[in-house]
Amino acid sequence: MNLVLDNLTKEFGGFAAVDHINLTMTNGVYGLLGVNGAGKTTLMRMLCTLLKPTSGNIYCNGKDIFQMDGEYRNLLGYLPQDFGFYPEFTVKDYLLYIAAIKGIRPAVAEKRAKELISRVGLTKVTNKKLKKLSGGMKRRAGIAQAMLNNPPILILDEPTAGLDPNERIRFRNLISELSEERLVLLSTHIVSDIEYIANKILMMKDGAIVNEGTLDEMISAMPEKVWECIVPQQSVSALTKRYKVSNMKSEHSGVNLRIISAEKPCETAICVHPSLEDVFLYYFGEKAGDENDTL
Amino acid sequence: MMKMTRFELKKIFSKPVTKIVLILLAVSLCVVSYFAIGYVDYVDENGEKSTGIAAASSLREAKNEWAGYITDDVLQKVLEENALINNSEEYLSTDVIEREKAYSKKQGFSDIREMINWAFGSFQEYNYYRADSVSQEEISSFYDRRTANLAAWLNSDEQESRFSEPERQFLISQYEKLETPFYYEYADGWAALLEYAPTIMMLTVLITGFLVSGIFSDEIQLKADSIFFSARLGRNKAVTAKIKAGFIVVTSVYWSMIFLYSGIVLAVLGTGGANQAIQTSFANWKSFYNITYLQDYLLTVSGGYLGNLFILFLSMLVSAKTRSKALAVTIPFILLFIPSFLSGISVLSEVLALLPDQLLQVCTAIKRFNLYQLGTKVVDAVPIIFAMYFILFCILLPVLYQVYRKTELK
Repeated sequence: MNLVLDNLTKEFGGFAAVDHINLTMTNGVYGLLGVNGAGKTTLMRMLCTLLKPTSGNIYCNGKDIFQMDGEYRNLLGYLPQDFGFYPEFTVKDYLLYIAAIKGIRPAVAEKRAKELISRVGLTKVTNKKLKKLSGGMKRRAGIAQAMLNNPPILILDEPTAGLDPNERIRFRNLISELSEERLVLLSTHIVSDIEYIANKILMMKDGAIVNEGTLDEMISAMPEKVWECIVPQQSVSALTKRYKVSNMKSEHSGVNLRIISAEKPCETAICVHPSLEDVFLYYFGEKAGDENDTL
Repeated sequence: MMKMTRFELKKIFSKPVTKIVLILLAVSLCVVSYFAIGYVDYVDENGEKSTGIAAASSLREAKNEWAGYITDDVLQKVLEENALINNSEEYLSTDVIEREKAYSKKQGFSDIREMINWAFGSFQEYNYYRADSVSQEEISSFYDRRTANLAAWLNSDEQESRFSEPERQFLISQYEKLETPFYYEYADGWAALLEYAPTIMMLTVLITGFLVSGIFSDEIQLKADSIFFSARLGRNKAVTAKIKAGFIVVTSVYWSMIFLYSGIVLAVLGTGGANQAIQTSFANWKSFYNITYLQDYLLTVSGGYLGNLFILFLSMLVSAKTRSKALAVTIPFILLFIPSFLSGISVLSEVLALLPDQLLQVCTAIKRFNLYQLGTKVVDAVPIIFAMYFILFCILLPVLYQVYRKTELK
């Protein structure tokens, strides 16, 4: 499976939400990382044929996806950010309905729905109405619907947003399980999700892909170093104004700071191995808050 | 496809608002049927008025004593009988009950008496007592007077500019084509049924609007649109399934209401008189539609169905285009009530006669003279609205399909 984004642009009233993106994706898990408003959802909606690009094209195995129409959507599984559902439908009804609009034959759909309900751990609530399920359960029903047609392309927009830690870990593991042998594009602003699941990371800012690579490539390519130091409370203000601080923790001996900087920020600072969160702050620090602010 | 349509129907009927809608439909049916049944009353020999099954049965018995062709002999007999009652003590009394007793004796031929009132009055004026002064010699011109009255009215100064010559000829020719003598029997069941048919149809379209207005916009309002439109059939067969579901809902609700309403009213008031000319009734004397009660009923319910389809599919189109259920649900109200507000403006009558609300009141529209000259052919508003809204409905379907399938998420 091969998806090529060729000079892809989407403008809304002159504002470029997606700005001339060129990208090739093959099988594997792609983590799309960016702050809110970076253009992730717009990009994903174009990939799902929900929005037409202002200019540029998307090719699937060499064919334009908008010309492929249903043929392309047959290859697609999508879990949107705002996952809407039919409140009066049971989990089973919902999956059978989505199976029907995905063009899956009723007999196959029954079998597949049952299998996925079991796989996402919803067997006990199969006949319960969707409106009565918890947020995590609804998300699991959402991933089940995306997987109904066993899609070679799986697009997940903020799949773990709003889930409690247990549900998030469970959901992350589920995505990992389901991601074999397919192209998965996963958008989130929860850095740890990407760190755990993604083979390749795409960093998106102001509608453009500003950096891409594996976790190691991202970390090693970061031009600045990461430092940790314990400093007295009265020095914190000066350091946060001067450097990007990715973490701050009060301890009885002082304040433990994690600082991103090319130079050693203070005498006691120790150089540590960067995490993806540090890379994220390095690229999106300004967006994360005021300049030189902490995460 | 059937599976998708079934799920679309399930979406509609599983909503809590649907229960309220179904209750409203049931209440409307009961109330309108009650009024329609109450439309027929019978005054017994003691001057007491009653309604319901027994009243309908007594009235049927009284009227069917006069059943048969309304020939000169029958008309003369009506005049004789009428004069006899007019000279009775009860009729001449000032006591209301006594006068009601006198009326009870006229009930059997009251419809024929009303026709005489119309025939021997001027075209636009109705005089309840005109029949009392018609002579036995005059009565032989009964049928001719109908056409003569029309011709006199058409040639009057006030109507001169209203109708063109072909339109006048058309009306007179229609009047002349009416088969005489009329066959007469008790037909009050049909009259009552048709009297309230527009009410039940309007209530049905307004209430059904709440069921169908969300078929297209709900996907967007529930935020289920992303998954819907990214599915393989989301932009073709799934849209068709929605249209099919809308069609099934509109059709099943409409015909259920009509069959139940017709069944209740005709079961109580009787089905007699189905094949007699509508001109035998007080309300339809002037109509130039030479049809029977049954044909009037079929025309009325067919028009109602087409009107329901057109108005509700327009509502669905608005729902698909604007993504707003609230706006869509107002469409039937706008289409049905705006013409009522404008009906007082006579210059608009030709336009108002072509609006879709007329389809829901064909039995009323056929009493009016809304003529249009298309080339050399004169056509009434009723066949025009049938053809026009059928074509518009056929156009609406692909437009609705295209509008919804091209939906882009914002």
